[in-house]
Amino acid sequence: MEALNSAGDFIPAALAAFGVEADEIELAVMRAAHEALWPPILELLALDTSAFASERDHDLSQAPPRR
Amino acid sequence: MSEPLDLPLREQAAAVAAGQVGAGELLEAALGRIEARNPALNAIVETFPERSREMLAAAPAGPLHGVPVVIKDEWPLPWRAQRFGAAEMPAETTPGESGPYRALRDAGAVIVGVGNMHELGASSTGNVSVYGPARNPWNPERCPGGSSSGPAAAVAARLVAGAVGADGVGSIRYPAGYCGLTGVKPTFGRSAMDGHHMAGVSTTIVSGPLCADAGDCRLLASVLFGKELRAGDAKGLRIGVIEDEVSEDVAPAVREACEAAIEELRAATGGAVRTIELPELAAATLATVLIANSESLGGLNPERLNSLDPELSPLGRGLLKYRLMLPAAATVKSHQVRTMARQRLAEVFEDVDVIAWPTLPAVAPPLEAPMVELPSGTLTADAANVRGGALANLTGMPAISVPVGSSEGLPIGLQLQAAWGRDELLLDAAEALERANGRRWVEAVPPLVAAEQTGA
Repeated sequence: MEALNSAGDFIPAALAAFGVEADEIELAVMRAAHEALWPPILELLALDTSAFASERDHDLSQAPPRR
Repeated sequence: MSEPLDLPLREQAAAVAAGQVGAGELLEAALGRIEARNPALNAIVETFPERSREMLAAAPAGPLHGVPVVIKDEWPLPWRAQRFGAAEMPAETTPGESGPYRALRDAGAVIVGVGNMHELGASSTGNVSVYGPARNPWNPERCPGGSSSGPAAAVAARLVAGAVGADGVGSIRYPAGYCGLTGVKPTFGRSAMDGHHMAGVSTTIVSGPLCADAGDCRLLASVLFGKELRAGDAKGLRIGVIEDEVSEDVAPAVREACEAAIEELRAATGGAVRTIELPELAAATLATVLIANSESLGGLNPERLNSLDPELSPLGRGLLKYRLMLPAAATVKSHQVRTMARQRLAEVFEDVDVIAWPTLPAVAPPLEAPMVELPSGTLTADAANVRGGALANLTGMPAISVPVGSSEGLPIGLQLQAAWGRDELLLDAAEALERANGRRWVEAVPPLVAAEQTGA
């Protein structure tokens, strides 16, 4: 999958954009995190949530209002 | 006869109140036991005997009067800022009166030590900490669970009978499961939270109790809630189970123990077991991770990330830097998933009272390599554990982990989750389960404790 394989490009590019330095071990940690998280993140972005209206001022101590 | 320190939290409190046990004697016994047992466990990272004695001298006649307890390294004390298990905090911290500290103090409790925790609260294992890892009293080469590793190890080793942890993504329930304890993740917002460095920012973290059994959790949770959680019964309990990876992609021994416990609970309450569906669970798990990670970004910027303390672990440094790269669109989507999951759960809780599944898919993994073998293959413990722990934090609902079995000499936990505000029902259900199994698992103690109790 191209997005997954791009970790080697994405991470150095993102670090450069933020001006953040990283050593080899940190880069390895970031690559591992990226490979684990990126594919499900792409799936999450593709998820259709349109049937669920956002809760306004949601209160996590209570049940949501009935739909 | 048991040492007073071996009594349950509520019995220690009753014995002190009745004058059967001296509170000073109890405090010194706890300090002595920490000195004796803690070096092998690293559960407690700091004691402050004079402060503890001062707390006792000033202790009011509350429900925990004169009872020693431990608090996680996530809460400030008037004499000590929290370190979050890390060489460097993502936010500035100073000593002060946190909500849990005030609740304990006003209940008359005596804080005898600070419990270790996983660095930055970032793992379910507890195997990385600026203090060195805490160790599981059931097997010191195994993970105690995280991030409330020290509080759990301290209670499991009977250094104290109760500890206050924090749960942002399973961080009370994971160590409860690994250490054979009962641990409560309260409904969001119900337990004391102020003074936490992420209070007002985090929408997942709560304080909660770790104790041997549900009765002690009821008492300690009542203190943290500022409200007595009265006992009821769980008669006719409707138990929801799912046929999904959180229930099925688990080690066979864990699955058997949890299925047996669910059946015991059903029989004990005269209830029923129903299969439910939560198709959003996988998305909800990722959404929880993304929300929790994005909420911790406030104190970070490139300049700060370029000057991180070299004593922070390479894993911690790498993950802090990676958080900057998480796309905002995914966090926004995560909040939509939160809405979706909450609405689905609200519908589910019209048909069931609790949802049950294994707290953890396997027993505590080795500290040196926290991986677990599951039917689907070998996974990092964190990747496997989060599947069962995240939903309660995402949605705000309460959850409890109760000990229900053992494999390889290591505890197995069952998680029960209920609708918002039904924390008491979870305690009622846990107590019903304890009665049904003859309190076999809540009274089990690790070998190192058993050896001392029998004088071996």
